[in-house]
Amino acid sequence: MGIWEIYLTTAMHGLVYGMLIFLVASGLTLVLGMAGVLNIAHAALYMLGAYFAYTFTHSTGSFWLSLILSPVIVALVAVLIERFLLRKTYAKGHVPQILLTFGLLYMISEIVRMVWGTNPLRVFEPPLLSGEIPFLGGTYPVYRLFIIGFSILILIGMLLFLMRTRVGLVIRAAVHDADMVGALGTNVPFYLFVVYAGGAILAAVAGVIAAPMLSIFSGMGDQILLDCFVVIIVGGFGSLLGAFVAALLVGELQSFGVLWIPQLALVFEFLLMAVVLAIRPTGLFGEEA
Amino acid sequence: MNRTVPYWIAGAALILGFLLLAPHLLPEMKIHLIIEIMIFSLWAVSFNLLFGHGGLLAFGFGAPFGVGAYAAALLFQHFAGISLVLTLSLVALLGFVTGVIIGSLSVRLKGAYFALITFGFQMFLYAIALKWYSVTKGDDGFGVTRPALSLPLAGNLSMANVVPVYYFTLAIVVLAILATYLFQKTPLGNSIALVRENDVRPPFLGYNVYLTRLTVFSVACFLAALAGGLFVFFNEFVSTAVIDMNISMIVLLMAIIGGSEYFLGPILGAAFYVLVQNWLSSLTNRWFLVMGAIFIVVVLYLEGGLISLFIPKKDQPGVSMGGK
Repeated sequence: MGIWEIYLTTAMHGLVYGMLIFLVASGLTLVLGMAGVLNIAHAALYMLGAYFAYTFTHSTGSFWLSLILSPVIVALVAVLIERFLLRKTYAKGHVPQILLTFGLLYMISEIVRMVWGTNPLRVFEPPLLSGEIPFLGGTYPVYRLFIIGFSILILIGMLLFLMRTRVGLVIRAAVHDADMVGALGTNVPFYLFVVYAGGAILAAVAGVIAAPMLSIFSGMGDQILLDCFVVIIVGGFGSLLGAFVAALLVGELQSFGVLWIPQLALVFEFLLMAVVLAIRPTGLFGEEA
Repeated sequence: MNRTVPYWIAGAALILGFLLLAPHLLPEMKIHLIIEIMIFSLWAVSFNLLFGHGGLLAFGFGAPFGVGAYAAALLFQHFAGISLVLTLSLVALLGFVTGVIIGSLSVRLKGAYFALITFGFQMFLYAIALKWYSVTKGDDGFGVTRPALSLPLAGNLSMANVVPVYYFTLAIVVLAILATYLFQKTPLGNSIALVRENDVRPPFLGYNVYLTRLTVFSVACFLAALAGGLFVFFNEFVSTAVIDMNISMIVLLMAIIGGSEYFLGPILGAAFYVLVQNWLSSLTNRWFLVMGAIFIVVVLYLEGGLISLFIPKKDQPGVSMGGK
């Protein structure tokens, strides 16, 4: 394998991970942009998505069924959390929200350890997507290509929803200035609820499709949470385009970091953040604070 | 108002008297707990200088604490026989420098931006501590030995026993907390409260908002690094646990649980946290579950913190809980 094939494979790996981060970070950044709520428990939804995928894949024998069932259940959990806990903190400001959602992350992680145990679990990819196929002169795992394709489909769906529907229009307006949209007679909390549920579904989908590729363990939420933080800071709060660009950057940085200087892969990511902050404190695509 | 002053003095004298006598009254295990409470108190008070007094939520306040902890550990490890006072001075100074660097890039921002950005810097430092294995031993951490305290007249005082460690920590923490209290009362310390209430008007009055915030941030980091240094001095061990995400949540919890509107609130919070954590971990190994529930209950039902159970809530608009 020549050096260019190695680079190409590494770039593809980075793209795969970048897309996963984007799926999780998109809901987080939209809720942050609309309501100023920093929902740390969002990362727990990704983790729950993966664990439910394990349970459903092993009980029903179908990965595809779990790709539908798991996000539905996770969205239900998320909606209950929003309705009975998170909603009470909207008027209280950031600190109660951070504390409450972090407490939830603690609790969900512990419950996951109680239910599924502490050993890492594995889900196998469906037979249709196993193995490798020839790809640009080398070979590449089919499943990773599926992740890229599937997340691009979701991305297109999201863009169409946000750019071409009325609900999407209101959501974009509310990210820009929620108070003004509310003053014009729109029920902003309802749209926030839609975004919140949608974000939960996307995080859970990311968890399900990540499950066959990465191992499932109770710290996987913390891991993606850090990546998401970097992504929303680098991309700018509330900016979907920023989250997309930043997620790909972070994915590639991690992938090439591991290839070149494995010890510093994690450091690169935060270095990128520091550099962006020093130049543009509101992130690449963020509005002025 | 004046009638309450004697009570305050009586209370303070009572607590100080108890703290001075504690090593002779309590078993060693309890002394360990009090030392831990004192160190966390200093850290929580320095956090609250920014949060309660300055209205700045430094979500990444584990950064100066961790820097202090690692600096102390590395100094103890590589310079055998280094003076204890010199080490802690260097550690605190390094904390101040860390504060200047992080602060110069972050205090321009407010609210969630400021919170997340300080947190990002902490994670940057966490990544270094985790991955620079040859120096920090990563997750495993490494142990150090407490140096003796050299006193000008009395010669060297061994710190091998817990009792001298207790009194040394008590002296440093009481002095540092007292200094923090006095700092809040200075014109500079007060101007941060002015900037908290309104950051548009102060420039017209000749205040430099950026420099005020930066100075107070750096002073808070100075104190936090001192707390981190004491933490390693007491535990004789350092690992990434001093700079990970949990530690930032812990200081936030201590400030909120105790009551961030009052200077003494975070101290109460630190005591509550250490005692409850100690009690829970002896009862169950699922204490994360209970701790998470405590976070939620505090947020939903105990808005003013524990201290509000003793002191009626202030009438005037006090410190907001972060705000938008």
